[in-house]
Amino acid sequence: MEMFLQSLISGLLVGGLYAIIGIGMTLIMGVLKIINLAHGQMLMVSMYIAWVAWYYLGIDPYLSVFITVPVVFYLAKYISKYLLNPLIEKDSILPENQVLMTVGIGIVLVEFMRFIFTSDYRSVQTSYTGQAWHIGGISIAIPLFWAFLFSIAATIFLFYLLMKTDLGRQIRATAQDRLAASLMGISAEKITIFTYALGSALIAAAGSFFLPIYYLYPDVGPEFTAKAFVITILGGLGSTVGAIAGGIVLGLAETLGATYIAAGYRDAFGLIIFLLVLVFLPGGLKSLTKV
Amino acid sequence: MKKAGKLLLVAVLGLAFVVGLNGCGKKETGPIKIGVLLPLTGSKAKFGEMEKNAYELAKEKINKNGGIDGRKLEFVYEDDTGKPDVGRAGAEKLINVDKVPLIAGGYSSSVTYAAAAVAQQYRTPFLVNTGSVDKITEPESFNLTTNDGDKFYIYRLNPPVSEYASGLEGLLKEVVKPKSVYIIHESTTFGTKGAKSFAKTAKKLGIEILGNESYSSGTVDFKPMLLNAKKANPDVVYMIAYVMDAAMLMKQARELNFQPKLYVGAGAGFTMPAFKENAGKASERVVSATLWHQTLPIPGAKEFFDAYVKKYGGDGPDYHGAEAYAAAQVVADVLKRCKGDYSKENIKKQLDATDMMTVFGPVKFTSYGKKIHQNKMQTYVVQWQDGSLKLVWPKELANAKFDYPIDWNKYWK
Repeated sequence: MEMFLQSLISGLLVGGLYAIIGIGMTLIMGVLKIINLAHGQMLMVSMYIAWVAWYYLGIDPYLSVFITVPVVFYLAKYISKYLLNPLIEKDSILPENQVLMTVGIGIVLVEFMRFIFTSDYRSVQTSYTGQAWHIGGISIAIPLFWAFLFSIAATIFLFYLLMKTDLGRQIRATAQDRLAASLMGISAEKITIFTYALGSALIAAAGSFFLPIYYLYPDVGPEFTAKAFVITILGGLGSTVGAIAGGIVLGLAETLGATYIAAGYRDAFGLIIFLLVLVFLPGGLKSLTKV
Repeated sequence: MKKAGKLLLVAVLGLAFVVGLNGCGKKETGPIKIGVLLPLTGSKAKFGEMEKNAYELAKEKINKNGGIDGRKLEFVYEDDTGKPDVGRAGAEKLINVDKVPLIAGGYSSSVTYAAAAVAQQYRTPFLVNTGSVDKITEPESFNLTTNDGDKFYIYRLNPPVSEYASGLEGLLKEVVKPKSVYIIHESTTFGTKGAKSFAKTAKKLGIEILGNESYSSGTVDFKPMLLNAKKANPDVVYMIAYVMDAAMLMKQARELNFQPKLYVGAGAGFTMPAFKENAGKASERVVSATLWHQTLPIPGAKEFFDAYVKKYGGDGPDYHGAEAYAAAQVVADVLKRCKGDYSKENIKKQLDATDMMTVFGPVKFTSYGKKIHQNKMQTYVVQWQDGSLKLVWPKELANAKFDYPIDWNKYWK
């Protein structure tokens, strides 16, 4: 029983972590209709910023959110404005080419970071890294717990933004029908750029929360791009609530599978759920609810 | 007109051929190029970088001391990104485009094995310095027999993975005397084969194996696996993992307060300075098999370590760096003995005759069991004590006392 509870809690916490990685991706996918293959690399950039802030300036990784979010927001804004948007404007260019563009951006970011920081593995040592609360025989890793809380907070924030604010309505309108939205007086271009930047800023915040848990090297990104992609499909394109549900489902499937079947096939359990959702619930978990 | 064009083409080609032949007759003075296959990007890039640094360090020294018969030695690096398919293509490029007569390097087992098949196909000598799965120097895996030494182009400087733990055997038998062990390993060729051979060793020593679990590299959460291990309550946990997975494993074991008598790493990640940095307190008193340590009484070992730290800074190299440096030493030695004939066959002949001392220990390619062209060597045991890696076994070479039994509560606090 203790083992089951521990696996359940581990799964939930890891799921929360996956969810914050997936939320930004789902937003970008919903509006831009492209798979952002540079998503994990944005995570990597943000983690490097947080690491530099911690290593050289002694800023706590959690506080570095206030640095990583604006820096990555503007970085993504300009990437979107000057590299991705020009490709949307031209009808002759297929959407696939934007995806290729994100691959290119990803490679440039990785090699640029390797050039500055080399391939060394980095991690932060704070008072709470490796700390855990012990309740009965169950251990809860403190940094994972904070990341979990943050992912819920981010979901609520994003949900509120999309549903209740004027800006959110504009984003949703552009996602539903770009042309119609422009005819209603929404600047689809501005909204597209903003959405890409917002999605990237979310993963930048995730980077600050992720750094005390994991470690950092220039190639850390792709694996999490893949995870984010799976979560996005699981949850349903463009759905923030779907993303957190997708993240938790993935985390639980992996952890319970690893505990009770075989740890070596950990990734396979997540992907089996992914396949089942594709076959039986093509719209993702989103299609179970109204939002 | 058409005919004239054809004639012209033939004439030009003919001329080029003659000029080309002329070039062969002259004495070459340019650098001698040797290929090196390493993971310079991707998740294993950290190791590739260390080995490349060591190669460069050795090259500078060799060239400063007159090079090879007055010619400079040059390494042509090819990035295998840690993937077998890229490694294959890289080896093909080194052989066919760069036209190197000898390839060195080879980091991860699966990549090295793939590249070895290419080297074998093109009859190009391949001096492996890190790839450790046993089959690399077993001719039967290339459809040859152990009598086919003259047709087998693969040479290996480092011991195969099945011998990594040989030094550990003595320690377990004489000091720890564990009753049970739990094996955790990476789901790669290196990890799986290493786990299998350690299981064999354990059986020989009469140690019960309570579990043998694999994981995929880059896992965020090792807790499910560690929980199963904790439940099994083994005396010793034996782990085959690369550096950051190793650090994550120990960190999370500490979080779960999982206290077996001893944590043992199988080399690879556990001896890297990055392991200590990233695992923090959780690295304390962890034991690892290793192939090399800078304090060993090997001529040049300490000098190499110091020169590396001086040039590249940081915590200095572990055995990976020493392997690469030694490989460069062997390359230089072999080329010097080639006496100007740098053909693949002559290089192979000189590799066979190698018998020299390197910073990694003596190197001589011998045959035993199913293997040929394999350098046989001893392995050692190190332990992290108060933030530094101490050699604790064999006793006569040790520079620190093996700390055992271990009070985890004291170090993990």
